[in-house]
Amino acid sequence: MDASELQPITQFLGQLTPFDSLSEQNLERCCRALSVGYYSRSSVYVPLDEEHPQLYIVRSGAFEVRGEDGDLIDRLGDGDFFGFPSLLSGEKVSNRVQILEDGLVYHLDPETFNRLRSESREFDRFFNRAFAKRLRHQGRFKAKELGSTNRVSSLMSKQPLCLDINASVSDAARLMRDNRVSSVLIIDNQKLAGILTDRDLRNRVLAESLDGSLPVHQAMTVTPTTLSANALVFEAMLLMSQHNIHHLPIMDENRPIGVITSTDILRGQSSQPLLLIGEIERQQDLESLINVSKQIPLLLQNLISADARAEEIGRVLTSVTDALTRRLIVLNQQILGQAPMPFCWLAFGSQGRQDQAACSDQDNGLLLAHEMDEYAQGYFEALTKAVCAGLDRCGYVYCPGDIMAQNPKWRMTLEQWQQKFANWVEHPEPKALMHASIFFDMRCVYGPSSLFEGLQSQVLESTKDNDIFLAGMAGNALQVSPPLGFFKKFVLERDGQEVKGIDLKHKGSALINDIARIYALSAGISEVNTAKRIRLLMEQSIINRKDALNLADAHEFIAHMRLSNQGYQFTHNQPLTNYLMPQQLSSLVRHQLRDAFKVVHDAQAGLKLKFTRSF
Amino acid sequence: MAKDAGLKGYQHALMPVINKPLVEVELLAIDLEMTGLNASFDQILSIGVVPIRQGQLILSEAQHKLVQIEGSVGQSATIHGILDTHLDAALTPEQAMAWFLSVSEGKVLVAHHAPLDLAFLQSGLQACLGEKPRLLAIDTLLLEKQRLLRQQEHLQEGSLRLGRSRARYGLPVYAAHNALIDALACGELLLAQVAAMGGATKVKIAELLP
Repeated sequence: MDASELQPITQFLGQLTPFDSLSEQNLERCCRALSVGYYSRSSVYVPLDEEHPQLYIVRSGAFEVRGEDGDLIDRLGDGDFFGFPSLLSGEKVSNRVQILEDGLVYHLDPETFNRLRSESREFDRFFNRAFAKRLRHQGRFKAKELGSTNRVSSLMSKQPLCLDINASVSDAARLMRDNRVSSVLIIDNQKLAGILTDRDLRNRVLAESLDGSLPVHQAMTVTPTTLSANALVFEAMLLMSQHNIHHLPIMDENRPIGVITSTDILRGQSSQPLLLIGEIERQQDLESLINVSKQIPLLLQNLISADARAEEIGRVLTSVTDALTRRLIVLNQQILGQAPMPFCWLAFGSQGRQDQAACSDQDNGLLLAHEMDEYAQGYFEALTKAVCAGLDRCGYVYCPGDIMAQNPKWRMTLEQWQQKFANWVEHPEPKALMHASIFFDMRCVYGPSSLFEGLQSQVLESTKDNDIFLAGMAGNALQVSPPLGFFKKFVLERDGQEVKGIDLKHKGSALINDIARIYALSAGISEVNTAKRIRLLMEQSIINRKDALNLADAHEFIAHMRLSNQGYQFTHNQPLTNYLMPQQLSSLVRHQLRDAFKVVHDAQAGLKLKFTRSF
Repeated sequence: MAKDAGLKGYQHALMPVINKPLVEVELLAIDLEMTGLNASFDQILSIGVVPIRQGQLILSEAQHKLVQIEGSVGQSATIHGILDTHLDAALTPEQAMAWFLSVSEGKVLVAHHAPLDLAFLQSGLQACLGEKPRLLAIDTLLLEKQRLLRQQEHLQEGSLRLGRSRARYGLPVYAAHNALIDALACGELLLAQVAAMGGATKVKIAELLP
């Protein structure tokens, strides 16, 4: 048989990663080896033959992979695969595959599968990675402990100070003084021979009345205890306490690439969120708050290197911002005296949604219990100016759009705020709404919750089932589409001369935020965090379960890519941006990213259908 | 296979399977391209076959044969895309019929709008073997028609065509057409139809035959 005559199948597989990496001949052989089955929802599960594992390629329909305890592991559609973990591991099939929608599935036998793996490295690597990802995802709905997975490479000082073994202890001392470090690595013939520390200079040189011309090898600790770069911080702590030492050279193969000290570890721990928040609450003046806030970028990097979920990272960083804001309000009230009336400090946008990342700017406002007299006006003017300036100096730059409490326009009474929102809701002009959308993601950071609820409940009442307003919001949200075409040919944002890559924030996360906001406002849901909004929308059956889970996964994946990209930029001393260069991605990650954008695209289509059809 | 005794054996081989569920029976999805629609003077141009075993289409045994004709393909080339030059290496009608009997022996035939394909096969077999066998096939078009009528749906012009029928089961659209692809498309449609009827382990061959 001439396999190219089965064109619908060769064409389908030929476009599918990793089959697209196969030679034409292998692709045809592969198509020839397939058998085609049809699975119907009425049989609930795909019957998996434990004795004869095979690769299942989904041609149409929808399936869910569930673990032994019924946990959702993966959701599959056209062009997805299942059955490969057993093929790769040789272990018996333990997962079950539920049929959500009837579909056509191609089966590939293990012999052909293994032959393709041995003939194409890319094919082999794709399934190995998919398998690794599957293992990781087994626990994705379980809480992950932060910190314990932290690697020493994230805390060590890079480019360690090195000295030749024939140098004197005076040379070593001068080098340490000039570089302001407490240890130096001693190198013999390009290999690590020892380590010399402050303590060695004291105990082995000065206390013995030896002079500075002593060769370093007579004072150093010979063949010191070392650790590899991917060891856990926890293991470094254990080693230090076992050997009563404070310095550990970090090795990559046989080459020293860094040193980690007990001080590094202490510093790393103080950037743990709870400790950091505790520290913020203890500070007594602005200067020390600014000092503490310098740890925030490090906290972000620690969370990223610990592979925390993007949603958790956003919540942790925002809780630090909230703590800083509250502390600034309290400290300034100590100077200005007690406020003349109850008030709420409102956070909008990303702080409101609890999804702050690196380089967030301020978006805030003030909600006052009643009209201000002249004294109150002066008081709140001074308070808000001081708090906003403090936030700016702590790294949260002034809002370019001037949406800040220090702007008198955004200091209003309950009644005035209600009026402001009523204006947006009743006259949903596209341009006005575009700027207003961040206000609908509002949260009270400081002040009596009863006052805030008075605002929020009125806003939600006016937006719920308000077709005209929701159509206006939806119309705005549909102005930007996800960069779906990038998979075929990278569609890149251009910034002047330089190619900036894919804008993960404005073409990804922001679109999902918009979608969740509009549905939440339509249903009168008060939650503003995007992931929680989606969960509530699912629980209230406003978005169907499958679409909601897909959207939540896409949101997490895009946010995760944005954060890990910023982690990469940080470690490579590049400025932090939201732009991802697709060349840096493996074809698998590109594949996943395209899937995530596809979900956003579909959700936008759903939004359009639901909210804009009659206008 | 031997000709005369063979044709009886060919028919007898099918009797025991009638009461078995589909999953236990071997089937053969077929499709023919012809020079026209009249079996008494139009000719077979090509035959595509895909076996179905244990409820799955086996692509490694899928086959596509072109058949020599008398005269030219003429205007029909615009429909099937087979040109006279393609037929140079084709089987003679006699070879084609012998091949068909051998690949289909013991298998239940499946075709979309089966009476047409069967009429051409029967006259082809008669011309080569001098005997007109009674061929039996599952007709996916007929199954679809019965299902729609049971659901009291109004049958629209063209709604029983292969592509439109497949769309109702969410089966992919195949842009290309030849006897092999259409045989595959027809086999997939049967699997979907049987799944809707209760599944290949429950539905018996007798329920599917006209």
